[in-house]
Order: sequence, then structure tokens, then C-alpha cells
Amino acid sequence: MSIKVTKRHGHSFRDKLYLPAIYDGVKVTFKHLFHNVTNINEVDTLRYPEEQPTDITSRWRGLHRLTHRADDSVACVACFMCATACPSNCIFIEATEREDGHDEKMPASFFIDTLECVFCGYCVEACPCDAIRMDTGIFSLTGNKREDFVMDKEQLLSHKGAYGEEISCARD
Amino acid sequence: MSEVINIIVDGENYEAQEGSLLIDLLIKNKIKVPYFCYHESLGPDGNCRMCMVEIEGQKRPQIACDTFVKEGMEVRSNTQNIKSLRTDILELELINHPVDCPVCDQAGECSLQDFYMDYGLHNSKVTIQDKVKHDKAVDLGSNVMLDQERCVLCARCTRFTDKITGTHELGIIGRGDNAKVSTMPGRKLSNAYAMNVVDLCPVGALTSKDFRFSQRVWFLQTAESVCHGCAKGCNIYIDHNKPKYKDDVMYRFRPRRNDAVNGFFMCDEGRLSYKELQENRQERALLNGEDISQEEAIQKAKETIKKFYGNICIILDANLYTQEIEAIIKFAKTIGTNVCSPQEIYQDEDFKDDMLKSANRAANSKTIEKLHVYTGKPRSDGLIINFNHPGEFSAQSQINFFTHKRNNAGLTLPTATWNESSGTLTNEDGIEQKCEQAIHKNNPVPTVIEYLQRLQS
Repeated sequence: MSIKVTKRHGHSFRDKLYLPAIYDGVKVTFKHLFHNVTNINEVDTLRYPEEQPTDITSRWRGLHRLTHRADDSVACVACFMCATACPSNCIFIEATEREDGHDEKMPASFFIDTLECVFCGYCVEACPCDAIRMDTGIFSLTGNKREDFVMDKEQLLSHKGAYGEEISCARD
Repeated sequence: MSEVINIIVDGENYEAQEGSLLIDLLIKNKIKVPYFCYHESLGPDGNCRMCMVEIEGQKRPQIACDTFVKEGMEVRSNTQNIKSLRTDILELELINHPVDCPVCDQAGECSLQDFYMDYGLHNSKVTIQDKVKHDKAVDLGSNVMLDQERCVLCARCTRFTDKITGTHELGIIGRGDNAKVSTMPGRKLSNAYAMNVVDLCPVGALTSKDFRFSQRVWFLQTAESVCHGCAKGCNIYIDHNKPKYKDDVMYRFRPRRNDAVNGFFMCDEGRLSYKELQENRQERALLNGEDISQEEAIQKAKETIKKFYGNICIILDANLYTQEIEAIIKFAKTIGTNVCSPQEIYQDEDFKDDMLKSANRAANSKTIEKLHVYTGKPRSDGLIINFNHPGEFSAQSQINFFTHKRNNAGLTLPTATWNESSGTLTNEDGIEQKCEQAIHKNNPVPTVIEYLQRLQS
């Protein structure tokens, strides 16, 4: 086994002194500081939360929602595909008999623990009914206790899509 | 004894009994062959046509399920021709299939799904969008739900009621795409083995009302065990699951094949016995109805045993595992007493039938018999130590090791049920069978053997 030896740089007196290099770095920092202070309106960062982002696209994965059918009933048929695909196992469903004339099955309860969720979007990919989406555009969620972050079925159904397509495309 | 002959399948030599079916040989040697209608307990029917193979010298492909093996037969099961044939037959089956796998309980253990992945993956040539509609979610009775649209008309269920139970409730009515499984008008599916049609059905046409929507099958874990419903000892699979943040729960029992005991089936009562097994459990130690801690209870038990030394009777349940019974007998010797197990309470002549059900409702009474345990009433009125025997006894003092809640006086210690421990049982025919531990609770209650160790320490 041979060991690769890389020759070190910086053998000159100027390099060993360090101070010129520090001066170069501080020069760049102060250049930006003076530029930003004198051109305050051209700064790239957002003054959140006073300013809200305007560049979230429809493909961006926000908080989940459950979609409805044309007659306002829940599109989900409780097939557990989302729960099966979920890498963090944060979707908890209980299925029950459906009485509203569509299909046979619906969720009796549907919980997503958003504290455990990694927002990967696999649930949306897995859903055969277009019943779960992440197109609400909601990117921040606040609460006073941990339980506030566990979304139940009613909360998920109440979230509106931010980019149209209010009704499930797969279920009528 | 029939003659052993040699046949060639896909270029390999195999031995088979003369007069046996070709499909049995293929199944036995794990040669991939798809089939819906054939079942080893029901025999060939030859209606699904999925098990086609090429046989040397025959003009067209033949169904393996209704072909007898012959000396020197040459069979090809995986040629391109056979594969495309299977795809075509599958396409035919799927023309009117609703493909509602998301809501179907069979999804995950469905032959149609498996065969589609193996042989299908085709684009349907049928362009008509409207599928033939039939009834969905028909309650056939006996906890069986029928979905006529999902049915592939393999007739396993009708043959089961004709050949196995002889009750003839089910039949296939109508012709062509109107054909469907149905009961006779005004009649329900009603026999003690009815739920076996759910296991027999290769697709989601017949599903269990009891298991309906309760869990997707791919989440379930399976343990091999033996039913404790009667002395027959039918082999079962226990399907259970411990969901995240919850406790281990059983969802169903399914029969496990054992030709020496139960064949392919089990009775409905045994199948549904999982419910009462996990309901109403004794979880806390009690002293005259008051909660006490495990340590106090053990201490109290030790004191009581010392107090009544010489005037103790141990009663044991004939459903305990052989290892537990042996340990209890050994323990009895150390405290200078005998054991008894009154057997009268287990006799139930109404339960008995001539298929699988036995009049003896205790799973391990053969071991009680073998170990010469006294089977009459307890012969002491001092202290009774009851290891989950269902009978009621009166004595000056009692120590009860109960799995389920009961009205009782004295000291009660919660004990693990049979699915929470492992052991062996001897059925009424003397066959020794092993039961795996299925359930691992978050807060397990001690088993009989653990209690005996603690009492002796």
C-alpha cells in the first residue's frame, strides 16, 4: 500500500505571515457591507415574516391536503398506499365502510404527523385516487404544543389548493 | 401401491406416481404454474385454463390440472408460446374485472395480481370502456362478503360447498359475462366451515366480513400456531401486527395446511376465536378485587402457600402447553401437593361434528391423560391454586392465574395467553404440535413458567 503525499502550499513569507490573507477576506466582506447599506432595496434576502415569498411554484411541496370529489365527499378510499410508501411512517389511517354511494371504503380517521413528516411527497406519488396533495402552498406551521402538528382528517380536508384543481382528478 | 414413473419437465427429470395429476407434480417441485380453479383439496375443474403446458406429441397446449402423468411424458411449461397464452387468458379474465385493488381486501395476496405481474403487464385489446356491472358487497351470510365483479368464476367456492361441506348453498348462475356466483334465492351461506371459501377464493370476490377493511395484508406478520378451540388442534397462521405507537393486535386466524390433522380448513368458530382471546384481559394483579403490585402479589402468594402447606390443591387448565403442565406438576411436588384438572367442563357434545370439530374443547387434554393428572374434583378445601381452569371452585383461600377477567375472590395474577407464549400441544389423536409465540405486547404479562420461577425463588 502506498501513501500519496501532497505538497503543501504557502511556503512564501507573505503566506506564512497570514495577515495579507485576512486583509483580503475582510476587504470582500466590507465591500458587500458598504454595497448593501447604500443599496438597501437591492438586497436578495426576504424580510420575513413582514414580507411573504411570491415565488412558490405549484410543484413545491407544502402542507398536505385531502381532496374532495365533485359532490364534496372525500376522495380518499383508505387504500393505505400513502401510509405504505411513507418513509417516516407518519400517516395513520383507519378504514371504514363507505355509505355515500361511491366505492366501498373511506377513511374513518386520517392523521398526518407533520413533525415526523419529511415532506418527500411519496404519499402524493403513491395515491391512486389523487386524494392527497401537497399543493396548498402552506410552508409554515405553528402551534403551541406537539399535538397541534398532528393534522386530522377534517383539517386536511379543509386545506385549499393554492393552484386550482380543487377536485380530485381521479375520482368522480 | 401405484408405480413410480419418470417424466421430463423443461428438460429436467422428475419422478411421479402413476395416475397422479401433472399439476400436483409441478406444484410439489415448485415449478411455476399459474392456476385459479385447481385446488389440492377440491381437485381439478379445468375451467380457468391458466395452467396450460405444452406436452410433446399433443397438437395444442393442455391444462396441467386435468392431465395424468404418463411414463416418458415430455412437458414444457415456460416456452414463449405458453407465456403468451397465459397473458391472453389473463387478459380475458381482466376484461370485466373492476381493478379496484385500492379498496379490495385481497390486494397483496391476490392470485390475479400475482399472475398479472408474472404473465400480464399487457395493454388490453378491448377498447370498450364500460365494464359489465354486477353486485358489489353482497352479504352472503356466515361473515362472507361477495363481490361479483371481482370473481373469475373458478368455482372453488361452489365446489367447496358441494364436495367438502355438502351443503350446496353456492352456485354459478347466468351465462357468458352475466355468469356470477350466488346463493339460491332466499337462502344464505350457512355452515360451520363457510369462511373457508374466503381462503379458497383466489381473488377478492369472497372476503371476510370480520376482517373487512381492518388492515392491509402487507402490514401483517404471521406466526405458525395451533387453534385452541378444541382437541382437534387445527394448524393455523396467526396474522398480527404492531402498528406504530400501538400494541400488538391479532387480526385473523387462517388455517395452515397439515394433512395429518386438519387438511386445508378450520371451523368458523375456531377462526373467530382470536377475538375473545384478546378481549377482556386480566392485566393487573388483584387481591379481593383491589389492585396490587406484581411484587406484592408474588409475596402474598408465597405467604399464602406457606400458610396452607399440606392443605393445597392445584387445578390446571387442559389448554396449557405441555411444558407448562410439566412445570406445574414439578412445582406441586415442591409444595407437597397434587394437581388435578376436572375434565367434565370441557365436554361439549353439541359442538362435535364429523369433520374437524371435537366434543372435547380442551386443546391439550391428551397430555393431561398421558401425565396421569387426576381429572376429578379438587380434594382439598384449604388453598386452591387455579391455573386458568374455567371452572369455579370454592375454598378458604384462592390464588388464581387468570388470562381473562372473571368474578373471583382471593388473589388473582394476570397470566399470558397461549398466543403470548410458545409451547407444544398434543391433540386428541396423539400428534404433538408446536405453537410459536405470536404476540409480543408492549407490557407483557408473565407466563405460567415465569410465575413458577418467581414463586420458587
